Amino acid sequence: MRHYEIIFLVHPDQSSQVQAMVDRYKATIEEAAGTIHRLEDWGRRHLAYPIKKIHKAHYVLMNVECDQATLDELESGFRFNDAILRSMTLVKKEAITEPSLIAAANAEEHKAAKVKEEAAAKAEEESAKKKDSAEAEVSEKKTEDSE
Amino acid sequence: MASNMRRNKVSAFGGEGAPEIDYKNLDLLSEFITETGKIVPSRITGTPAKYQRRLSAAVKQARYVALLPFCDAHK
Repeated sequence: MRHYEIIFLVHPDQSSQVQAMVDRYKATIEEAAGTIHRLEDWGRRHLAYPIKKIHKAHYVLMNVECDQATLDELESGFRFNDAILRSMTLVKKEAITEPSLIAAANAEEHKAAKVKEEAAAKAEEESAKKKDSAEAEVSEKKTEDSE
Repeated sequence: MASNMRRNKVSAFGGEGAPEIDYKNLDLLSEFITETGKIVPSRITGTPAKYQRRLSAAVKQARYVALLPFCDAHK
């Protein structure tokens, strides 16, 4: 059995079906005693150039080990699936399991966005607290004035 | 003299800690394409032929899966 790296682009309107599609491919590979060494979902990415007048696509990357018959089955599946805009299969020398650079960059971005969000939430909370205390002070002053 | 002076050609490839030439390594590949998307000749970048071949293959793979543009006149 050989190692392959498969990348395919799914129509953005069919993004929700990606999980089902991946599960189906997984089943076909595992049925033929193959293994999936790496499976990455890059999500919707901007295309460098439009394909079929579409500017965005959902990318999925798979590193698998399977035999020729299974690969043929997968590739014909890609060809006859209207949701798949494009696919590319490369032969690799060994199994690759560590996350790819693009996936790593995606994760990093996700993390950064999360941290930012948390920071924003914290800042908001703090400013709300400050406002509360300021208001309390004002009300205190008012009571003093009235006395 | 000045006309004989050549820039020392240093390549980052080969050896320990060299960057991996792969179609997914967009940061690396983008150093070897022009603003218009063309592959920069090795005589400009000083890349050894062995790595230039790998680079050009990687750029072409990246173009096919729309990670890099073929040119700047798309759309």
